[in-house]
Parts: sequence; C-alpha cells; structure tokens
Amino acid sequence: MTNAREISVEYLARVEGEGSMRVKVVDDNIEDVEFSIFEPPRFFEAFLRGRPYTDAPDITARICGICPIAYQMSSVHAMEDAFDITVDGSLRELRRLIYCGEWIESHVLHVYLLHAPDFLGYESGIHMAADHREVVERGLRLKKAGNDIVALLGGREIHPINVRVGGFYRTPTKKELQALVPELEWAKDAALETIKWTAGFTFPAADLDFEFVSVCHPDEYPFNEGNIASNKGIDIPISQFNEFFTEEHVERSNALHSRVRGRGAYHVGPLARYAINFEKLTPLAQRAALDAGLEPVCNNPFKSIIVRSVETLYAIEEALRIIDAYEEPAEPYVPCTPKASVGHGATEAPRGMLYHQYRLHEDGRIADAQITPPTAQNQLTIESDLRFVLEQHLDLPDPELSWVLEQSIRNYDPCISCATHFLDLTVERV
Amino acid sequence: MGDDGAGPVVIDRLAQRVPPSVALVESVGDATHLLETWRDTGLAVVVDAVVSGGVAGSIQRIDGMQGFPSAWRSASTHLVGLAEAIDLGDAVGVLPGALVIYGIEINRVEPGVGLSPAIDRAVDEVADSIAQMCEAYA
Repeated sequence: MTNAREISVEYLARVEGEGSMRVKVVDDNIEDVEFSIFEPPRFFEAFLRGRPYTDAPDITARICGICPIAYQMSSVHAMEDAFDITVDGSLRELRRLIYCGEWIESHVLHVYLLHAPDFLGYESGIHMAADHREVVERGLRLKKAGNDIVALLGGREIHPINVRVGGFYRTPTKKELQALVPELEWAKDAALETIKWTAGFTFPAADLDFEFVSVCHPDEYPFNEGNIASNKGIDIPISQFNEFFTEEHVERSNALHSRVRGRGAYHVGPLARYAINFEKLTPLAQRAALDAGLEPVCNNPFKSIIVRSVETLYAIEEALRIIDAYEEPAEPYVPCTPKASVGHGATEAPRGMLYHQYRLHEDGRIADAQITPPTAQNQLTIESDLRFVLEQHLDLPDPELSWVLEQSIRNYDPCISCATHFLDLTVERV
Repeated sequence: MGDDGAGPVVIDRLAQRVPPSVALVESVGDATHLLETWRDTGLAVVVDAVVSGGVAGSIQRIDGMQGFPSAWRSASTHLVGLAEAIDLGDAVGVLPGALVIYGIEINRVEPGVGLSPAIDRAVDEVADSIAQMCEAYA
C-alpha cells in the first residue's frame, strides 16, 4: 500500500511578501519540493523604461520597505558605472554608513521578531515577547539605532529620499553624526549580547555544500564595491554578472530562478558574505563569531541567525569608525554627464547580493533595466535545503516537520515582495 | 499610490491644521516603527486604508485599546503590521495612553496616482475629525 504525505503551507508567516511551500513524500521518497512565490509581479523594470536616470534610486527603493537603501545603492552605482564617475572620500564613507543603518534595522528585525521564535518554540515574536520582554525590548532599541542612521542620512526612516546619483542631496554635519554615537556605543554591547543569545539556541545539524556568492572587496567587508566572488572559483567584475549567472522562469513562481551557468544553485546573503570575507570583519566581530562556536566558514544555514548577529556587530563598529573619521565634504554629490551606455551595480542587501543593470539613451533616459534581487537568487538553494531537511526529519510528525521546513525557509530571511518585482512585461508564460 | 495612499494624504491635509505638539508621521506600518512613535505618547491616531467588504469611502473609527477588528487582521500588506504592533506594544508595555484607529474603506488596491472621489471625501472627513480631536486634546 502506498503511504503518501503532503505538507502544504499556503501562506508562509514571518516572511516579507506572499509565498507558499509544498512538499510531497511517497513511501519515504521525496517526490516534490516547491517553494513558490505567488505574490503578483509589479513590473518595476518596465516602470523604469523611458524615465530619466535620476529617477532610478527613488523608484527602485519603493520595491522594498525593508531594504530601500540596497536598491538605491545598486542603482546609483550602476548609473555611475555607466557615466564613468567615481564617488570617493566622505561621500563614499557616508554610503557605507547608511548601509550600516539598513543592515542593523533589517538584521535585528529578522533575528529578534521573525527567526528567534522558531528556535524558542513560539508562534510569533509577539508570543515570544510575553515571556522574554527584556530581550525583545533590547531588540527594539537595537533596531532603532539602525533606523536613526537611515533617518539622518536618508532624510526619513521610511522610504528614504536623500540618495542621488553621485552622492546625496544633502550631507550631514559632523555634529549631527556625533549625536548618534552614544546610542551606537550602547548598541555595540547589545549586539555582543545578541550573538551570545543566538549562539545558545539549539540548531538542527547541517553541513551543506553551498556555492557561496558575494561582493568581495580587497580591503573591506562588502557593502557597495568590489568584484563578484564565490568559494568555487568565480572572481569577476560586476559587469560580467550575466556571463556567469542566468535567470529562468519557472511556471509555479512569479519570480525568476537564478543559477550559476553550467553548475546550478548558489547562495547569497550573510552566510556567503561571511564565508568569503571573514578576515575583513573587525577583530572584535571575528572573536565574537569564534566564541559563538562559528568557524570562519559556516555551512549550516540554521546558524545564519548567529551570522546576522555578527554582521550587526560589524555594522555598528563600522558606523562608529566612519562617524569618528568623518569630514564634511565640500559638495554633497559628484556631477555627471549622461551618455548612451550600459552600467552595472551590485551591492550587498541585508539578505544578499542585489544586481542592477541599466542601458541608457544618450539623454540619460533608461532604455532597459534588469534587477536581480537576492531572494530570487536563493530560490533554488532554498528548495535544495528543504529537500535536505525533509531527508533528515522524515520521521517527525507533520506539524513538527512543517515547523522545521518553514524554519529552514526563514534561514534566508526571504523578501518575496522584492523577488516578484523584476518580471519583465515581455515574459510569456507557457 | 492610489486609494491605498489614503493615510498619507490625511497627513498632508493636516499639515497646517494641528498644534506644534502634534507629530505627523508617515509609516509603512512596520510594528517596530509604530512602537517607537507611540512610546511616551498620550494620544496616538492611526489612519490606514482597509479592504473589509464595506462601501468604498466609508469610515470606521475604533478604540485601538479594545481589540483589533478581525476583518482588518487577515491580510495585511505590512510585514509586521498594526495589529501586531498593538499586541507587541501590549507585551512590552509600549502603548500610547489612548489609541484611535481610522479605517478608510477602499475597494481597489492597484498601481495608480491620486484618490477616487469617494476616498477623497472620506479623507477630508477623517482629517477634519482628527484636527478637532487634536484641538480638544490640546
């Protein structure tokens, strides 16, 4: 007699956007594993066509309420690549600083309210708060330290508006930045506590053979600039992204699936950045990671919650370093002259590498846009992880099995709304 | 934004009508942002567009301390939204002294710019109510 089990979660909780999961097991054989994205596409790439290049940072920032800075940064770098301008000195440092703010607020939201409940057995962060009030209060205050950076540099916390091609519309005074320091000093200690707290969770065993991909800079833990590198030999300029990676449409999903050409799934996000750039973390962040039981490469995706906590500490230390060394720039932005060209940008959103490409007309209007967000790049890896988790936990009853499967999806902090925003109007569904 | 931008338009229309002690804050509805806004606040008023099967342009006013309507809870477009903010604020002791929530019923959520006439009238009505409330509270 055939013994079939089917587990479906029609609406995944504690992820951004609308996605579902379905697995089917027949006689202990895994027949089907699907992580599907059914949130409707919003055609942002088509919106951009015909718009002036200056609109790209503000339009693409609206793709995501959680990581608008990532969209602004990838778009401005792509435009500056197209127009051959370089942004350096204090303006470059301010870009790293605003990214620190976004990493802090996004990572802390995920660690405290979306992912920790999985490990502590709560349905949600709200249920967890009833028993762990002080911990959740620490998380809320820590997140606000990141919000404050984004609000100051971005003009406002929500949908920041101060980033432009070449720099900023307005740059902060030294005094304005110094006002952030006391809370960031508190946040550094709170981040260390967060690492210890998450390291104490119980983790399902996993040692997976990932192809990690991230931006890689020779001197810095990556935010904005560098090559694209992997732990399996890729080391390319950002402009060669499409030569090494490909996207394909899958019938069941409203997001494209990405692959390394000739190989397959790859992994972007904190685990990838950490594995490729461990030695560029601050000494304190490296020590905290090792003390938390991490190796310099972590192949257990469930431990991504510790790595996010380590990256939170790094972002706080980096913010303090930048503020301490800050000199007000003479001009808030570097001017540029549009020309017919193609530009590429890849920066590190909290949940992984975000690639933008723009083809521009001579007058600076956008002819074509390509936006490849991290969640789309991780989709195949998420399904591969689901298959692994199923194999390891087939003996669990359905509710417990469903719990660990959902937890494994949340390892990636998937932003489904981002992933559905790049479908091109010309794509035909067959 | 189209009709789903009713909340931010209310803020725009209140800009010159409330005393300086009143903070007008646009939010994407992230619970953690709402909680920071509510911390140490005597009265908070939240305005959001809702789709609960009512007539477009109708207005519901509820006391946020007395529970959140289940019809508004089921399919929020916010990651950790208003209902969760109230529950989380209750759990960690960060709720305002009083919380009034206005829901403006809309029947279309789609890309667009500007409000349809029914929503435009509702937005005016809500802005008037809030301006009077602020005056009375001050």
